[in-house]
Amino acid sequence: MSGAVTVDAIWRELVTAALLGTDRRDPPDIGVDELGDVVADAVRPDAASRMLAAVGAVTAARRAAFLPLPPAAPLMGAPPDPRPITPSAASATWREVVREWPVLEDEWVLAVIAAGYRLAPDVLVEALLRHRTDTVRRARVALAGGPRAAWLIDHLPALAAAGSRTAPAEAVASLPELATPPDLAELLPLDAHSFVRRLVPGFESGEYGQAHRAVLIHLLARCRPEVLPDTADALARAATGLSVALADLCRLRHRMLAELRATSGGTARP
Amino acid sequence: MEQRWSVEQVAAVAPSPKSVAAAEPLAVAARWSGLGADERAVWGRCRGSGAEPYETMADHAGVAWRCTCPSRRHPCKHVLALLLLWARGQVQPAAAPAGVVSWIAARDQRSTAPQTTVERGAGAGDEPVAGLDRPEPDPGADPAPDASPGAPDRDALDQSRDERIARMLEGLAELDRWLEDRMRTGLADPALARYATWDALAARLVDARAGALANRIRRLAGLVGAGPDWQAEVLAELGLLHLVAQAGRRLPELPGNLADAVATASGWQVRQADVLAGVPETDDWMVLGRSDTREDRIEVRRVWVRGVATGRWAMLLSFAAYQQSLDDSWAVGTVVRADLHRYPGDALRALAGARHAEALPFERVDGSSIADTCASVGDRVAVEPWIERLGATVRAAPTFADGRWLLTDHTGSLPLLAGPVALGALLTAADGGPLTVTVEWTPRGLVPLTVHLDDRTFDIGPRADPSFVGAA
Repeated sequence: MSGAVTVDAIWRELVTAALLGTDRRDPPDIGVDELGDVVADAVRPDAASRMLAAVGAVTAARRAAFLPLPPAAPLMGAPPDPRPITPSAASATWREVVREWPVLEDEWVLAVIAAGYRLAPDVLVEALLRHRTDTVRRARVALAGGPRAAWLIDHLPALAAAGSRTAPAEAVASLPELATPPDLAELLPLDAHSFVRRLVPGFESGEYGQAHRAVLIHLLARCRPEVLPDTADALARAATGLSVALADLCRLRHRMLAELRATSGGTARP
Repeated sequence: MEQRWSVEQVAAVAPSPKSVAAAEPLAVAARWSGLGADERAVWGRCRGSGAEPYETMADHAGVAWRCTCPSRRHPCKHVLALLLLWARGQVQPAAAPAGVVSWIAARDQRSTAPQTTVERGAGAGDEPVAGLDRPEPDPGADPAPDASPGAPDRDALDQSRDERIARMLEGLAELDRWLEDRMRTGLADPALARYATWDALAARLVDARAGALANRIRRLAGLVGAGPDWQAEVLAELGLLHLVAQAGRRLPELPGNLADAVATASGWQVRQADVLAGVPETDDWMVLGRSDTREDRIEVRRVWVRGVATGRWAMLLSFAAYQQSLDDSWAVGTVVRADLHRYPGDALRALAGARHAEALPFERVDGSSIADTCASVGDRVAVEPWIERLGATVRAAPTFADGRWLLTDHTGSLPLLAGPVALGALLTAADGGPLTVTVEWTPRGLVPLTVHLDDRTFDIGPRADPSFVGAA
């Protein structure tokens, strides 16, 4: 076959003939050049067999000799955003937060904004999809994504918000309150030593069980970041199922905040 | 002038008296079409229990026969019925059709052929075993498989392998007949819209140990009516299946690597131990992309790697049934010094052998232009037209034109097949300009797997449903 156009023309004829079947329509003659030789050389006792051979040969030729489409104009870039993108480790941590301890996600996004980062491309897309219906969280993601977020949604409407409500600025900028009973809320302002001393014995004595899981998570998601390393170690030593899980929460929260406190981890793109 | 056999001579070659009794009901002309005989052979097509008639022929001078039915008795009842018809004078002299002529010619060429031979499956020679030996290399510690095919003292292992080969050849022959029927009745045949039509064929291919083709048939069933151009897509796939079926029946004539590739495409199983016993390819392997797809009830993970020294691609496959884990040991964005053992036929698919160093992040990946990518994909597809996926790393910009997403550069464009997550990450990372991206080439377009930036790598390939796989 001398050119892609000719092969394509033959292919269209083959598709038409194949729709009707060789009982009703003879297969097209695919010519006398190389491709035709391939089919003619084979032993083909009937029309269906010849048709099948032609389909196989033309398909192979089209696949092996496929040509790219003409060059297309590139998209206009997004408006510039001078902020560096979140460090790779922070992107990985966001995934871990979403998967293991989603209660930390609000703080993660606010920390990104406060540290002057913008969301990495992969996180931006997944976060936009994740918060299509939650106006406050979506507004935070849009803020962390910067002008690229709006630019991206223009190109991919599937990422657009599910509703048109706007979120109050105050709610967007602050961490949502988490329900914590008064006896635990008293621990929130304590230093690490006092925090551990008041909290951990409750695990060792059996006072805290699965029934307290939710409120303990709230406490550890909102306590002072400085208390996290010591608390994680003490909870791990307490060695109950719940305390070990909460130690993991403490370590993750500590790590995510440490990653986002670093100021030179990102890469700025124009 | 042909010398007709007597009915007693026909009965003498039957494997048992019961076989002759089973053949009698078929020895009526009404059950046959295309009957004919000459001084060397007798032939015809018999309508049996299968969807398609069986092609039956007998060399009455050389005492050999061939039938496309799946029977394991030789000669089968169709051959016996044909011979009975001929012995009773109910087959008229005719010019032998091309298939019979080529079969007789092939027999004549084989000087070492035994006096009486049984051949099953159109196009199969007397030495199908030799060709199929290649994808199943003999393990060094296993004494049995060293016996050459056709050797008089074959042990049970050889016999089992020969049976597998015979069944696969039957399956390929049946597949080709089925494909011809589709050509005859056309793609507008309502039967094609019924999954049972495809599933029945797939089940027969599974029985014939052609599992890879069975999977392909089931995937093909999903294309029917799936898009505006489904007829063209289905037709192309039928053509490729025909190529595999034809090539599979001619394995002994094919060059070694191609024969191995065809055997693999047909579903010939190669033991992992045999692959791992082969010579390893040691290199620093850059883990460039990952792609998860669900096939039936199995999640399949493809990891695409490329050797730093050789530039050669390889693919590592892992599988997970419900709540099993996929292999996470090859992290995208890392480089691993390791041994890989390729499957026979210089295949892309490989098994991981020994690791010689810890995985490290790689620093830089170079991408090809769109035109160069097309050329290298074309080179590979020219050798194995039925190939469905290839890894490639390109440097190009994502853009939207003529109603679809493309990867484009100054040499051309290729369609992108991606959901909003992968596409969004691609667009945001590119920001209107070119970027280096590893893709999985498919005949329908490029599936983006990985975005390579200067300081990081984004794995954006299709990911297994976490509710299906375990802690992967």
